[in-house]
Amino acid sequence: MYNGYTGTILRVDLGTGAITREALELQMAEDFIGGRGLASRLLCAELDPAVDPLGPENPLIFATGPLTGTGAPATSRYVVVCKAPLTGTIACSNSGGFFGPELKFAGYDVLIIQGESSEPVYLWINDKTVEIRPAESLWGKFPVDTEAALRKLTRPTAKVACIGPGGENLSLLAGVVNDGYRLAARSGVGALMGKKKLKAIAVHGTGSISLHDPQQFWKATMDMHEKITADPVSFGSFRAYGTASLVSLINEMGAYPTRNFQSDTFAGAAATSGEALAEDVLQRNRACFACPIACTRVSEVKDGPYQGRGEGPEYESIWALGALCGVSELAAVAKANFICGDYGIDTISTGATIACAMELFEKGALPEEDIGFPLKFGDAAAMVRAVAMTGQRKGFGEILADGSYRLATRYGHPEFFMGAKKLEMSAYSPRVFQGMALQYATSNRGACHVRGNTVAAELYGIPRYLAPEVLEQKEEMVRRPFQNSTAFVDSTGICLFTKFAITHREICALLAPATGLDFTFDRSIEQGDRIWNIERMFNLRAGFTSADDTLPQRVAEPSPDGPRAGSRALLHEHLQTYYQLRGWDESGRPTRAKLDELGLDDWWGVCSEA
Amino acid sequence: MTGGVYAARRDNRPEQEMIEVTVRLNAGLRRHRPALGIGEALPLRVPEGTDLRELLNRILQIPPNEVAFPMVNGVKCDLDKPLVGGDRVAFWPPVAGG
Repeated sequence: MYNGYTGTILRVDLGTGAITREALELQMAEDFIGGRGLASRLLCAELDPAVDPLGPENPLIFATGPLTGTGAPATSRYVVVCKAPLTGTIACSNSGGFFGPELKFAGYDVLIIQGESSEPVYLWINDKTVEIRPAESLWGKFPVDTEAALRKLTRPTAKVACIGPGGENLSLLAGVVNDGYRLAARSGVGALMGKKKLKAIAVHGTGSISLHDPQQFWKATMDMHEKITADPVSFGSFRAYGTASLVSLINEMGAYPTRNFQSDTFAGAAATSGEALAEDVLQRNRACFACPIACTRVSEVKDGPYQGRGEGPEYESIWALGALCGVSELAAVAKANFICGDYGIDTISTGATIACAMELFEKGALPEEDIGFPLKFGDAAAMVRAVAMTGQRKGFGEILADGSYRLATRYGHPEFFMGAKKLEMSAYSPRVFQGMALQYATSNRGACHVRGNTVAAELYGIPRYLAPEVLEQKEEMVRRPFQNSTAFVDSTGICLFTKFAITHREICALLAPATGLDFTFDRSIEQGDRIWNIERMFNLRAGFTSADDTLPQRVAEPSPDGPRAGSRALLHEHLQTYYQLRGWDESGRPTRAKLDELGLDDWWGVCSEA
Repeated sequence: MTGGVYAARRDNRPEQEMIEVTVRLNAGLRRHRPALGIGEALPLRVPEGTDLRELLNRILQIPPNEVAFPMVNGVKCDLDKPLVGGDRVAFWPPVAGG
């Protein structure tokens, strides 16, 4: 008897057309929870990590968590896991909306797509009836139009996850888009969906999720609801300004990377702030499934050259398409964000790739004739044009669509790539936030902020304040309350944005009565650690080494200006301590003792015998 | 800090110098000075040694418990930090992002 979980994994082979169902192993669920953890474990069983990420062997795994769709606050999340086309690392991209819950209502915890189709297809999951259908008429459509067309072809209430033209043209910046505008954005997971010629998945589910102890579950749900609605961030600033309220604050600290990380302060911050967004672009808020926070911005630029509508932009998108490109026109940033949504490409990597191109151009390494027009920092119109070309993969967009690592390398300046493991960094300067420096360098999917957002401690004081410049204790902080903790949260189906109001204890107070399994605070830390380690082992087998746990030379040099002028990333001072705390050897490989502690097999012979 | 302490300090230092600082109010705190533009700095002359709590309570009349991030020259500070001339002060209510 499954509670919380549906107990079923749906497997679809697009090469053979075979559609099969498998039972979820409860022991695996207890060890890896669901979502990110469970899908990563399944990927390890499916795939030799050394394969070509765009090959037919690479499965695309959609996974929900045991809390997804249960109705507890913010239980909307699903993940997309595979070997990442952009980076070659393990990928886990995460999204909310309504698609994940609907997949569970249809009766599936996990959907594994394997093989590839020769013609465009979509998958129609109507409870137990699952069909692979031709998608010629959908190919080339934007996500919102794809969703509208699919609802005519299936049911008016179907929930849809799809790719935009970016995924179709195999852009390594492409994500999977659900509910019109929400992206499981990073690592190029949309390119793999495009390579499989899978335009979309439409789901209609009429089932319900059984709970082990419904009374206790609802008690815990109401307790969490009270905590979230009493929290000034979750129920205050997130509703009023979304994530964008951070623009002015991070810039004030001199930690807001600008012009491809050449500076850490941006003169256009006020013009592109959350406050300006709320006044000029925001129309209303929207909530994901069962979410009291409702941080989504429904937005529109009503007139001028940058007219458009969509959702966002979020803090990271405002930064990547704004400060990082030196662009201070909010309407242009919003327009570029809408274009990214239409083509289904990641705003962070897209903005970062254009910023990299701007630096190459300004320093004479990238000729104007290659681009077709001057591409200078601060040129809003050129930035918007470059974003559209990237989505279309037309002209110079052919190069931009593969991300900044390949761009910088192609033009002979790999040092202009601002990321780690081929993934572009996010909107917190690692010269200032020493925790983020270590997190960017060691994150299993490359330099990303949501694998362990230490800014919570280094600025907000969650779980406790440790000033950004402090090095002491940062290794343990990055490892346990951030990286391991996030791996746990990402595996449950609840949104990470609840974490400003609640802790693991509240999440475990939901998981236990939902599933009847032994979910406790102490075990949650171990589960997070286990998940982090299998991701690491996947990367080691894929060929990554400790030499990849690194940052661009530029951020190891002093910040040139602003209130933190002179500060720099001090990664080398704590990387070895971090390895030791993780139970890894000096080359960053888990030891046999560590794997034994976590009950993990050494699937690929990557562990250290030391 | 109470008004009495503040008044006593002023009385004990009759020749106290005035200093110039700037203050910016962000996010939800903007409602306390709605005429200020986004990111616009409010120039103020305050007695030297005024701390952030006094600045909020006495001069700006903003309840200190509305402020989560008091910043002076880009560094998060405690509310008892005394100001010096030329300080660039900025306040945020509880905010976060991702």
